[in-house]
Amino acid sequence: MARRRRLEPAAPWVEITTTAADWKSADPALLATMLGELHLIRSFEERVLDLAGEGLVHGPAHSSIGQEGGAVGSIVGLRSTDGINGSHRGHHQFLAKAITHVSGGRLDLEQLVTPDVQTVLQRTLAEILGLAQGYCRGRGGSMHLQWFEAGALGTNAIVGGGVPLAAGNAWAQKHSDTTDVTVTYFGDGATNIGSVLESMNLAAAWKLPVAFFIENNLYAVSTHVEEVTAESRLSARGLGFGIPAYRVDGMDPLAVHLAMVEAEQRMRAGDGPVVIEAQVYRYFHQNGPYPGSAFGYRSKEEEAQWRERDPVVRMATELTRLGLVTDDQVEAVRAQAVAAMDAATSELIEADPEKEGRRRIRPELWPDPEFVDVGIRGDLGELEGHRALEPLTDTRARDEVKFVDAVAGVMERRMAEDPRIIVLGEDVHRLKGGTNGATKGLSTAFPERVLGTPISENAFAGLGGGMALDGRFRPVVEFMYPDFLWVAADQVFNQIGKARHMFGGDNPVPLVLRTKVAMGSGYGSQHLMDPAGVFATSAGWRIVAPSSAEDYVGLMNAALALEDPVLVIEHVDLYSEKDTVIAGDLDYVIPPGTAAIRREGREVTVISYLSMVRHSLEAIEQTGIDAELVDLRWLDRASIDWDTIEASVKKTNAVLIVEQGARGTSYGGWLADEIQRRLFDWLDQPVQRVTGSESSPSISRVLERAAIARTEEVVAGLETVRRNAGGA
Amino acid sequence: MATTIRMPEVLAGAEEAAIQSWSVAVGDTVTVGQPFAEIETDKAVVEYAAETAGTVLQLLVAEGDAVDVGTPIAVLGEPGEAAPEGRMAPVSDEGGDSAAASAPMARDAAAAPKPQETRAEASGSQERRFISPLVRRMARERGLSLDDVEGSGPNGRIVRRDLEELIAAGIPETAAPATPAVPATPRVSPAEPAEPAGPAGAEPELIPHTRMRRTIARRLTDSKARVPHFYLTADCRVDRLLELRRELNATGSVKVSVNDLVVKAVAGALQDVPEANRTWSDEGVLQHRTVDVAIAVALDDGLVTPVVRGVEGLSVSALGRQLADLAERARSGGLRQHEIEGGSFSVSNLGMFGTQEFSAIINPPQAGILAVGAARQAPVVVDGALEVGTIMTVTLSADHRVLDGALAARWLSAFVARIEHPLTILA
Repeated sequence: MARRRRLEPAAPWVEITTTAADWKSADPALLATMLGELHLIRSFEERVLDLAGEGLVHGPAHSSIGQEGGAVGSIVGLRSTDGINGSHRGHHQFLAKAITHVSGGRLDLEQLVTPDVQTVLQRTLAEILGLAQGYCRGRGGSMHLQWFEAGALGTNAIVGGGVPLAAGNAWAQKHSDTTDVTVTYFGDGATNIGSVLESMNLAAAWKLPVAFFIENNLYAVSTHVEEVTAESRLSARGLGFGIPAYRVDGMDPLAVHLAMVEAEQRMRAGDGPVVIEAQVYRYFHQNGPYPGSAFGYRSKEEEAQWRERDPVVRMATELTRLGLVTDDQVEAVRAQAVAAMDAATSELIEADPEKEGRRRIRPELWPDPEFVDVGIRGDLGELEGHRALEPLTDTRARDEVKFVDAVAGVMERRMAEDPRIIVLGEDVHRLKGGTNGATKGLSTAFPERVLGTPISENAFAGLGGGMALDGRFRPVVEFMYPDFLWVAADQVFNQIGKARHMFGGDNPVPLVLRTKVAMGSGYGSQHLMDPAGVFATSAGWRIVAPSSAEDYVGLMNAALALEDPVLVIEHVDLYSEKDTVIAGDLDYVIPPGTAAIRREGREVTVISYLSMVRHSLEAIEQTGIDAELVDLRWLDRASIDWDTIEASVKKTNAVLIVEQGARGTSYGGWLADEIQRRLFDWLDQPVQRVTGSESSPSISRVLERAAIARTEEVVAGLETVRRNAGGA
Repeated sequence: MATTIRMPEVLAGAEEAAIQSWSVAVGDTVTVGQPFAEIETDKAVVEYAAETAGTVLQLLVAEGDAVDVGTPIAVLGEPGEAAPEGRMAPVSDEGGDSAAASAPMARDAAAAPKPQETRAEASGSQERRFISPLVRRMARERGLSLDDVEGSGPNGRIVRRDLEELIAAGIPETAAPATPAVPATPRVSPAEPAEPAGPAGAEPELIPHTRMRRTIARRLTDSKARVPHFYLTADCRVDRLLELRRELNATGSVKVSVNDLVVKAVAGALQDVPEANRTWSDEGVLQHRTVDVAIAVALDDGLVTPVVRGVEGLSVSALGRQLADLAERARSGGLRQHEIEGGSFSVSNLGMFGTQEFSAIINPPQAGILAVGAARQAPVVVDGALEVGTIMTVTLSADHRVLDGALAARWLSAFVARIEHPLTILA
C-alpha cells in the first residue's frame, strides 16, 4: 500500500465567537456606536419596505433587515480611506460606511442624528427612490450606491461583479504607500461564481489588502446553500487560494468586529487578503416586504429562530447587561432613528393630491429626463494641454520601424513620463514583450509596473477597472485575443463600460484595453474575432483602430490621456509591417473626431479601419474605381468623425464599409444604420458592406481564408458599388 | 355595396385635377393606403392612396383627363366582388355635371390619343419605378421630370449616372423664366378627337412634350403660383453706354456687347444695394456674399439659364468671354451641372428681337429677374429742351418675400445710375 501523508492547507481557518469577557473589555464608545448604526439602518430599511409596499420604490428593494450585524461590525472600525463595495443587497453596508465616515466612527446615543447623518439618510433614500438629490443623481437606485468620498466604491447588481473591482482598489491602495484596505461584500450565492474565485486567487497571488466578506444568509433567492455546493462552510473557499479564513456569527456584531480587527492587522501589514464568512439571515424574501416563508422555501419556525438572535436586540441586550444603557435609552435611540426617517421621508414624499390616502414622490425631485445620456463618457476636456497633430500633414523626417516596435515604443515613452501607467495581462512581462512583442522592453524598464496575470480575464480586467475607478493609476489591460472579451464580458461591459454613467456620470474610468485581431493566423473559431462591433454597440467605450504606426502613436497617446475606457485594436498583420514614425516625436495625440482621408475620389466613399485600410487601397487600385478612402481611426459613436464622412458621402453618393471579420458581430451594422438616416437623400445606392462570412474563421487555412475579408473581397465590394451605380 | 370614389381636392384651391395615371386596374383588389392614382393639378403631381378597401369595379376617368374636384372617378365594390361584365353607372352619384366624367373610360382609353406613350405603358404594367434617394431629391429640387428616364441601376433604379446623362444631354434643370408666356401643358380630352370638329387635316397636331418643355411648364407655373411677383419699370438713357461700348470695341481685342455691360451693371447695383442680393428659403433669408447672375439663353425649343459666378470680380471683357462660352455650350448641350445651379438674380434680354419692354417670371430660388428691352431712339426732354436720345426700358420682377417695394426701387435706381454713368460699370 502506498504511503500516505496528510497535507494541510497553507492558510489558517478559524471561527471567532465572543465571550462575556470580550463584551466587557470592548470600548463602550464603540459598542454605543454600533448600537446607533444598527438602529439607524434598521429604521431605514423598515422605511424602504414601507415605501416599497406603497409602490413608491421603482424596481426591487432588497432588504438587509436581519443582516445588519455583519456590515456594522466590520465597517464601524474602518477609515474613510478604506474602501468597501457590495452587491444588490447593500443598503446596510453603504449606510454603515457613510455614517462611519460622517461621524468619524463615533455616534452619541443622546444626539444620534446629526445634520450630517440626516443628510446621509435622506440622500440614500432619495437614491433608492431614483431622485436627483441621490448620491448617484437617482441613476443608481437601490443596487448602485456609490459615494467615493466615504469610501463607498459602489454596490453592484451583478452577483460577484464588484469583487474584481475591489481587488483593483486594493491594488491601488497597496501601491500608493498607504495601509488602507478594501472590503468586498457578497452573499453565499456569489461564492460559486468565477469572478469571485478568480479574484481571490489574484488577490492572494499579489498580496492585495482586500477582505472577501461573505454574508452567508443561506439562500440565493430561494435556493439553499446546501443545494448548490458540497462545501457549504463557505469560508473554506479561502483555503484553496492560500487565504486565511474566518467564520463568525454575523448576528453578533462584536464577533464580527473582532474578526475584522484581526483581518485588518494582517491586510494593513501587507500580508494579503482574508476571507470572512459571517452567518446572517435575511428576515424577508429576496426583495419586498414579505418573509421568505410566504414563498414556501423555508419555514416560519426557522425564521422565528433566527429572529430570536436579532443583532439589534443582541446589541441592546449586551449594552444593558453591561450597564452602558437603560431600556429607556434604547427606546430613545430607536425613536431618534424613526424620527430621522420621518424627516427624510417627508422631504421626498407628499400626499398624492389625485389619490385620496395615497402618497407620491414630490414631482420636482425627479431627475430631468434630459439627463438620461449625460455622463456616459467624458467631455474630452482632459485633452486640453495635449499637443494634437495630424501625421498626414507633418513633414518632419521619419524613422523606419516595424509597426509593433511603435506599439512598444510609445508605451515605454508614456510609462517613463507617467508613473501612473500600469500594464497588465497574460505574459506581457515575458517572452520579450508578450506573445507578439507589443510590450517589448517594458518589463525591463519598469519591472514593478508590468504585471503578468493569471489566466483569468474577468479578474484582471476587473482589477484594472477597480484601479481606474480609484484614479491613482492608469491601467493598460491586454487581452491576448479579442474573443476573450466574452470571458470577461461582465467586467468589460457591465462594469467598466457602464460605471461612469450608472453611478451618476461624474466619476471617470480611465482604462486602456489593448487587443489584437489575429485573422489569418490559424487560431480558429474562438480567437479570431474583430471586437469593434461589440464594443461600438456598448455605451461607454471609445475605440481606436490604427492602420499605421504614426497613427498608433497619436491614438495611443490620446487613449492614455482620456478619462474614459478606450479599446485599442491592433492587428497581427500590421505588427510585422515596415512602417515609419515621426523621428523624435512620440508625444502627440490624434484626438477623437479626426478620420484620415487616405485617398480622395468621387465615385464611392470607402470607410475602413485597421489592416483593412491597406486592403482597401489595394482593391481601389486594382479596380480603378475613383474611390475616396476614409480611415476612421476612432470608431465609437461618440468619437467618429461625422464631418469627414458626411462631406465625403455628399460628394460620392455611395458608401462601402469595409471590415474583415464575421458578419454577425460586425462593426458596420450600426454605422450603415446611422449613414442611411443621416444621409438618405444623398445616397444613390444602398450602403454596401464588405465583411467576413457568417461563421467564425476555422483553423483550416482554406476555410479561414474563405471566412474573412481581404483585398479580393474589397474588390468584389467595389464591383457591387459599380453595378449599383448604373450606366451598364 | 359599391362605393364611389371622387376626385379629391389634393391641393388647397385646386378646382380641377387630372388623372395622370391609374395605379390600379379594373378587377384589382385594393387596400387602404395602397397607391390608387397619380393626380395632377396645375401645381403638382400627387399620389392618391386608396381611402377605402375593395375591388375596383370601374375607372370612370381616362388617364390624362381633368375633371372637377368632387366628380366621381372610380367605383369600388366589396372586397372580392367581381368586376361587372358590362358598364355600370356610377353609384349614388347625386347630381353634378357628371355626364362626361362618368363616361366609362375603357372605350376612351382605346380611342384617345395617349398624352404620353411611356406613361400609358407603365401604368398598364403597374410597375413601381425605383429611384435612388439622391436622384429623387435632386429631381425634386431642380424640377426635373424623370418620366422618360430609363434607370440603369439594379431593378431599373434611376441612379445618379442616369441623371447626369440627362443633364449632359442638355436638359436644363432650371427652366429659364425669360419667356413671358409659357403655354400651359395642353391637356387633350379624350372626347375631342372622337368628335372631329372640322375637316380632316384641320385638327391640331399633338406634339409630345420634351422633358425641357415639361420642366419649363412646371417650374414657371410653380414660380408664378408661389412667388409673389411685383414689377418695376424704368427707362435708361444709354447714349453714353453705347458710346463707351464703341470705344471699348474699337480698342480692345474682345468685343463687348450691350448685354455684357448690362450684366456687369446688375452686379454693380447688387453691390451698391447688398440688401437686394438676398433669396428666400424656408429657414430664413439668405444673404449672398458674391454676385452670381444667371443669363437666359434661348434654344431652339426652350431655354436654359447658365450662371456666371462672382461677376463683381470680373472685368467686362472676362465676363463677356464667359457669357459667350456659356451661351455657346448651352446651345451645344455642353453645360455642366454646376453651371446651371444657384445664382441670386437673372437677366433676360429680348432687345435683339426688338421687344420694347416686357416682364419676366422669376427663376426660383432667385429673388429677381431683369427683363431688358431693345435700345431705341426716342424723344427725351433735357433741361426743358426736346432732343433725341437712346432709351432702353428695363423691368425688374422682384420676389416680395425678400424684396420690398422701396428696396427694389433703390436697386433699380442704382442700376439706372450705373447704366447712365457707364464708367462706373468699369470701375
